[in-house]
Amino acid sequence: MKADRYHGFLFNPADLSEEVDIDLERRREILYLVASMDGWTHWQVLGVPWNASVEAARDAYREKAKVFHPDRYPGRRLGSFRGRLERIFRRLTEARDVLGDDATRAPYARRTAPPEEVARVAARQIENDARAQERRARLVRNNPMVSRVARVRELVDRGRQAMEAERFADAARDFLTASALDPSASEAKALAEQARRKASSGKARELWEKARAFELTHELERAQLLAEAAADAEPGEPRYVVYVARIALERGALETARLRAEAAVRAAPTLATAHEVLGEVLAIQGENGAARRSLERALELDEGLTGARDRLRKMRWSFLR
Amino acid sequence: MNENEPFIGIDLGTTNSVVATVIDGVPRVIASRTGQTLTPSVVAVARNGKRLVGHMAKRQAITNAENTAYAVKRLIGRRWGAAEVEDARKVLPYELVPGPEGNDIRVMLGGRAFAIPEVSALVLAELKADAEAFFGRRVTKAVITVPAYFNDGQRKATKDAGRIAGLDVVRIINEPTSAALAYGFGKQMEKKVVVFDLGGGTFDVSILDVGKSVYDVIAVGGDTYLGGEDFDRRIIDWLVFSFAQEHQAIDLRQDKMALQRLRDAAERAKIELSEGRQSTIHLPFLASGPEGKAALHLDRQISREKLEDLTQDLVDKAISVADRTMRDSGVRPSQIGEVLLVGGMTRMPRVQQAVKAYFGREPSRGVHPEEVVALGAAIQAHALLHPQKGKEVLLLDVTPQNLGIMVVGGYFATIIPRNTTVPTSQSHLFTTVQDNQSSVRIAVLQGASDKAMENELLGEFVLEGIRPARRGEVEIEITFDISADGIVGVSARDSATGTRQSITVTATSGLTETEMRRILEENLDEMLTRRQVGDFERLRDRTQAVIGEIESLAPAVKEALSRSRFGKDAVTRAEEVVARARAATAAQDLQQMIAVEEQLDRALQLFKGLAGGAPPGEKGSEP
Repeated sequence: MKADRYHGFLFNPADLSEEVDIDLERRREILYLVASMDGWTHWQVLGVPWNASVEAARDAYREKAKVFHPDRYPGRRLGSFRGRLERIFRRLTEARDVLGDDATRAPYARRTAPPEEVARVAARQIENDARAQERRARLVRNNPMVSRVARVRELVDRGRQAMEAERFADAARDFLTASALDPSASEAKALAEQARRKASSGKARELWEKARAFELTHELERAQLLAEAAADAEPGEPRYVVYVARIALERGALETARLRAEAAVRAAPTLATAHEVLGEVLAIQGENGAARRSLERALELDEGLTGARDRLRKMRWSFLR
Repeated sequence: MNENEPFIGIDLGTTNSVVATVIDGVPRVIASRTGQTLTPSVVAVARNGKRLVGHMAKRQAITNAENTAYAVKRLIGRRWGAAEVEDARKVLPYELVPGPEGNDIRVMLGGRAFAIPEVSALVLAELKADAEAFFGRRVTKAVITVPAYFNDGQRKATKDAGRIAGLDVVRIINEPTSAALAYGFGKQMEKKVVVFDLGGGTFDVSILDVGKSVYDVIAVGGDTYLGGEDFDRRIIDWLVFSFAQEHQAIDLRQDKMALQRLRDAAERAKIELSEGRQSTIHLPFLASGPEGKAALHLDRQISREKLEDLTQDLVDKAISVADRTMRDSGVRPSQIGEVLLVGGMTRMPRVQQAVKAYFGREPSRGVHPEEVVALGAAIQAHALLHPQKGKEVLLLDVTPQNLGIMVVGGYFATIIPRNTTVPTSQSHLFTTVQDNQSSVRIAVLQGASDKAMENELLGEFVLEGIRPARRGEVEIEITFDISADGIVGVSARDSATGTRQSITVTATSGLTETEMRRILEENLDEMLTRRQVGDFERLRDRTQAVIGEIESLAPAVKEALSRSRFGKDAVTRAEEVVARARAATAAQDLQQMIAVEEQLDRALQLFKGLAGGAPPGEKGSEP
């Protein structure tokens, strides 16, 4: 399995061939960690599962410190690896400082809940929905007065017409009813999904436009409510989440802004504006190191982000005269 | 690295110092050449100009108080004019003067000004010599302990002292951490440990999370000016005050010899009161009587309660520091698995009671609270130098105070907060405020206050050769790092061009590099003469032994030669050589002695051959 650990990672031969008294496998590990660990969560850095206990985190830290602390390589030639070891040790310590204390660990765990965890909650909801649908369908089936098949066809046809007229909400309703009547009708199910997406996208856009209007008149609280609704209406679109974060930031609701910005970064790791707004929130909260990382990432993704650039400049300190 | 190179751990204490090592995996204290484990941290210059260290220095302190330096650890790394230094000057019998730069402290001993690290170096050199006598070979590698609450300047000065003493200081470690290491040695500890270290001059409290042989310090606190010396002083003040009341306002503190006697008596009484409930202080002829009347004696009883009364606020102070540190650590007293008492002052029952009351558990004590720190230092030295042989211990210490810089308005901006695990580093972007600004001055400070002035100035550095550009265009990334020793370093880089900027750190206290070099050279000279003296003595003994042997063989040789035609002149030649050797020895001429040594050896070989029976050339002719 060892070979797979660094799958897709390219080692610089010059780094690997440096004359130092560290065995090759450890050197690979060090180079890999230095290149990767900045983007990792604290859980990943310590090698513990999400939501691991304070004791587990501290234990893992001790084990890793024993491997990567420069004191463990006394009297050996370390060359450029000394600096790398110190960087790894600092990153480990940073992770320990957050995860080794319940006061900081719990909020961090909430912020970094993995998609699977979110998905599990969502799946339970869907399961409940499905069961309810089945029950409804059974009732319909047991009703001799309804000719199921004919009714399904009728609904699908009406739905198609509604689609063409861009009445997506109506179409979605018809398709859903059809698939509820006949759970085996796969066509109706697919169409229902399509219609619902279009409906929610339209709805979200509508809500967002209203939110914009309130933002322009500086009614930020209402703007935020509408923006949240837009984001809820179209969960697949992170831009709305970024927008919510930005409004919240403007209002000074930093905690909300941070939660939303982090959610956006998680949902769309390559969305420059998400990193930008997260960076700005972090900067205001005084977490300068993290802020700088986010802002730099944002600029990496999109050089044209003047907000991020300005914020980075502001983070410099002035010399004394 | 030599596998068997000896190494030592040194607890350089305020009142006493200890040296230890690890032999066959077992840490042990090295006794001095006179058989004691504690060496008083006292240095003196005797009337004949000889330097005395340890017990020798302490013993003559009463008769030579103004040339005897003790408790210099309270002064190391401090600035001239600091409140603590001014305070100390009032009560110390020896004289303090400012250094050539006017910012550090010198001690006047025998008419010569010693820098504080030089004085400490004499103690270290004594311990080094003890270790060398123990190992029978040179010892250079050492770990030295300092109070956890020592700042950068105090640590650097301690390291300088090691260098002056000819030691290669592999690491400076914190005393409480060191004590925990020694206490946990050989045990499988998995718990949170508090070390309560009340020594001769400093107080430290550290909270550690120990597990899997990793000693992870969570928080440290302390007071570098609270210790046994302060307890002694309370007794002295009480004695002086009551004496003055009895005898028409005679102030005993004006008399250096009386003060030194009071110091010794106070310390003895304090120690006695840890065991007994009463102690008698009897100092005859302490002061001369007024206008030719009989000399005055001091006779007083002191009870344990009285001592506790006199020092209650000192104990309270220590407990409040412990409380603050616990708050910093976020650990509740109920989560603590062990409370460790270190330092001679923790023998005082009142201190033990207070600790027990605060933590709600019986504190543990090692067998020797005075030795445990040195043992821990030896264990760490072992771990750092011979890791494959040592148990897998790893110390993770923290920085005791906020590190930061002065920013506009005289405020202090923290860059590395206290209780950050070291080694660590932190970068900040700085920018110019004027067009074509070419240099900038940055003040680095350590302390807890928001105002820069109230913190300890570690140094100012000047950043030079900034490339000319409009203001705000040059961005310079300044990296502050703290090493595992707790020593601060600064480096700078132009973030656009990547070029490194030169940084000059001007020391504000302690020794400058040139001074350091001068001291090292002086020491080298002294060592050289000392070595020559040693060589001479060794060679003289040897020469005399050889001469003795030759002379004892002479009758047998003469007898052997009387029966032979050969080798008559061999005897006369040998006599000549012996005479020359005698002359060289008498003149203490090392060169001549070395020159004649070989001839002497040859004469001895010849004599041995001749006296053994057959004269040369006639082998086998006799039975």
